[in-house]
Amino acid sequence: MKHLLISTAMAAGLALPAAAETLTVGVATAQTGALAPFDAPVMEGVMIAVDEINDAGGIGGDTKIELIQKDVRSDAAQTSIAVQELADQGVSALILPCDADPSLAAIGIVSSAQIPAISTCASSPTLPEIGGEYMFANFPGDNVQATVSASWAWDQGHRTGYIIYSPDTQYTTMPLYFADVFEELGGEMLGRDTHTIGQQDFSAIATRIAALDPQPDVIMTSAYEPDFPSLIKALRAAGVESQIIGSDGIDSPTTFSLGEVAEGLVFTTAGHPTEGSELEAFNEKYEARYNKPPETVFNAVGYDLIKVLEAAVEAAGSTDPQELRDALANLENVQGATSLITYKGTNGMPVREVSLVRVKDGKRELVAQPTPDPDLIPAPRMQ
Amino acid sequence: MIVSPRLHIVASCLAILVLGVGAVLVAQSVGAASERILTVFFISLIGVVGIGIYTGNSGILSFGHVAFMGIGAYAASILTLPVPLKTATLPKLPDWLATTQLDLVSATVIAVAFTAVVALVIGLAIGRLEGSAAVIATLGLLIIVHGVIIGWRDVTRGAQSFFGVPRDTGVWTAAIGCIIALLVARFYRDSISGLRLRAGREDAISAGAVGVNIRRERLIAWVLSAAVMALAGALLAHFLGAFSAKKFYFPDTFLLLAMLIVGGMSTVTGAITGAVVITLVTEFLRRLESGFSIAGFDMPPVLGTAQIGIGLIILFAMFRKADGLAGKKEWEERVFHSSADVAESPELRGLQEDTTLRAKNLTMRFGGLTAVDDVSLSVAPGEIVGLIGPNGSGKTTYLNMLSGILSPSEGRVMRGDEDLTGLSSPRVASRGIARTFQNIRLFRDLSVHQNVLVAALSTKGGDDARARAHRAIARMGLAEKAAEDAGTLSYGDQRRVEIARALACQPSILFLDEPAAGMNREETAALMEQLRGLTRDLGIGILLVDHDLHLINQLCDRIAVLNEGHMIAEGSPAEIRRDPQVIEAYLGPGKEH
Repeated sequence: MKHLLISTAMAAGLALPAAAETLTVGVATAQTGALAPFDAPVMEGVMIAVDEINDAGGIGGDTKIELIQKDVRSDAAQTSIAVQELADQGVSALILPCDADPSLAAIGIVSSAQIPAISTCASSPTLPEIGGEYMFANFPGDNVQATVSASWAWDQGHRTGYIIYSPDTQYTTMPLYFADVFEELGGEMLGRDTHTIGQQDFSAIATRIAALDPQPDVIMTSAYEPDFPSLIKALRAAGVESQIIGSDGIDSPTTFSLGEVAEGLVFTTAGHPTEGSELEAFNEKYEARYNKPPETVFNAVGYDLIKVLEAAVEAAGSTDPQELRDALANLENVQGATSLITYKGTNGMPVREVSLVRVKDGKRELVAQPTPDPDLIPAPRMQ
Repeated sequence: MIVSPRLHIVASCLAILVLGVGAVLVAQSVGAASERILTVFFISLIGVVGIGIYTGNSGILSFGHVAFMGIGAYAASILTLPVPLKTATLPKLPDWLATTQLDLVSATVIAVAFTAVVALVIGLAIGRLEGSAAVIATLGLLIIVHGVIIGWRDVTRGAQSFFGVPRDTGVWTAAIGCIIALLVARFYRDSISGLRLRAGREDAISAGAVGVNIRRERLIAWVLSAAVMALAGALLAHFLGAFSAKKFYFPDTFLLLAMLIVGGMSTVTGAITGAVVITLVTEFLRRLESGFSIAGFDMPPVLGTAQIGIGLIILFAMFRKADGLAGKKEWEERVFHSSADVAESPELRGLQEDTTLRAKNLTMRFGGLTAVDDVSLSVAPGEIVGLIGPNGSGKTTYLNMLSGILSPSEGRVMRGDEDLTGLSSPRVASRGIARTFQNIRLFRDLSVHQNVLVAALSTKGGDDARARAHRAIARMGLAEKAAEDAGTLSYGDQRRVEIARALACQPSILFLDEPAAGMNREETAALMEQLRGLTRDLGIGILLVDHDLHLINQLCDRIAVLNEGHMIAEGSPAEIRRDPQVIEAYLGPGKEH
């Protein structure tokens, strides 16, 4: 965190005097509250990209990036206020919090101010759909992730499933997409349970599943911290041995430090540092800067976001918000740290690679980086 | 009806209008960002006075009012949400609601009315609680309403953001809402209900004894304040355009209460002061939050600076100004000293009532202790009866039974054919039986005039209340002190205010509990003359409890003597002086002379 703070000051100091032109980016992210475990690592990656670009003279050699940062405390109302203030300051682009819910709070302002806005890591495909033409995401959609994991489960020979989801946010309803795809493939859902975010005690759900006969082959959930660790411990403690599938929300150091209970866990995420990959190169930059290896893909996702903005400015040849939006919407194959990123032909939900990762010996192991069958991907819906 | 001088009300209303409109004009000339800060400020201020209407006047701190803000916000937003978005995001709404799309004003009116109904139901349920139980109940209310909002997904989207609300609240809308809320709060404070509630806040027991039904007044303030909170919620929702249940929970409760506490709970001036101070400080600290540099020294961003700052301001206010920066008076009450127009004061009317009050065989037990045992006594209009006895002999308990503060374990209190046993003290007061208290129970922060006026307004249906109040003040010789705060008077004057307050109830029977305690000889003599005047001129019957045997002997037609809960003697002063049992009780055995 300390490095991040210093670098913010440095970036601000460097950007102001020298550059001929400046891309001012309003950053309204959750540095405190429930979404901070995602937005804080994203901002580390953002800083790496910003400094890298600015040190090289700016975008296209002349446009420096300046960030104006505000903490939205993982709260919808606070996001609305912060984004309004940033729009008042005349920023060219906006970076919104990780989840769809606080990002949705900004849609009114984003549309009326006509400034392109990218959520750091919201994966709900409903965000750009409802958010309108100025709202963009920066992550593989929930419906795409669920298609990847359901197809993999089917291919592994799993035929029965069970889902645990929370209607509290869009993101935690991802298992509903999973169930759709799994049933479409011919699988059978043995049941579905709901929980609330921050529930802590999952013994009732665990007991219910343990009592099933036969046991489900797979259990899918998109619960994340602090719910996911309690959930998986409760399931294993109740004697449930089914394959557990999670999603990008658990791509965090916590998951790899859970020990025995998390062994064999498979989840979808935005990338994997295969040998010679861009992500591997990014991870080296990260380690050089922060003196520790990255522990989550969200660092790299932050880097991706700035690379997308850079590409948009280059394509537009301008920092005008309207031109920037049009350029962003037509970007194709931008090389990010995690994947090639394409917005052209989408409604703002990018086409990016999805990686399936397994926890093995407390480390990450790549299972597959498949391209999902487009016919299987469920349509986005509010749920 | 408004009980404060017209000058005060006019000055206050003008100031509110001028400040509100002036602030908007200034903000508009500065720019969009300051307009938005002002809009948020106006909405917060509506919330602050909303809490203040209840908390300030009743003295019961409410943690629950932000829940009403939430109810208002959700209710209004559901009504204004564009139909296509509503069908997409809230598919399970009933048809009539899903197809409704109103403008901000009608939606706000409906939301305010709906919230008031909800508040009425809740108020009826928790209105019986007192003191800290009442405070905790409001806390429970906040948590329960939050839980309902989270759980009622089909209507509220649960914990998810409620978004897409038309952003119709501009700075003028907020200003108009704020001016309305401030005027409502200002008028309520000095309405009859507001004055009664403030009297109840100062002293619930004596407020009851002059006819105030505190629960009813609390309920009125509760519903009114909830309606104002709903207005704040509706405007906030249409300012933000998106919010979630979290917006109407502890952080905002804390912020609004901080404004109220720092500024001063009991006045509109205080609410405005607090809102201004806290808003300025948070705006300042929020800018520091993202880091700054002074003379080459870079201060890193510190998150949460604003919260810490507010906490420190509260601590400072509590140490230095426990009643808040604005204190307990409105600014206009400080600036325009009114002499509480008590000029014309014709004599109190003689009383038609001439029925004797008879207490038959009253007994009071507290657990195993019998404080009063089978004591009968009567007081007829026009006579002065003394009730004496050593400390702990049951005199005050006896008065409390007669005046409805305690309900006797056995026995009856009769007025002619009417049974007064077990009536509440406001009902006893309304039947022409008034009292004073041994340990002075004045409404300390109200003026002398207001102390007396509350009693006049709350008895005899409030008929002719101003005139009754004026006459009572004049009769006790307090006209010159009428505008002063009761709590600032000398001890003797405070005793006289208590009697004046009791007289304003236009009683036929008056109970005085040690009226001369703490008075010097001259004051006692003057008091005796005034009391004689009450019976002579007005035909009031007086039951007098005092230790001053000189006073009792001089004044009373009859004297009753209590000892250890028993009546040991009753008769004329001369008979009592000779009674051996009385002498023994007062002087100990073997001291006859």
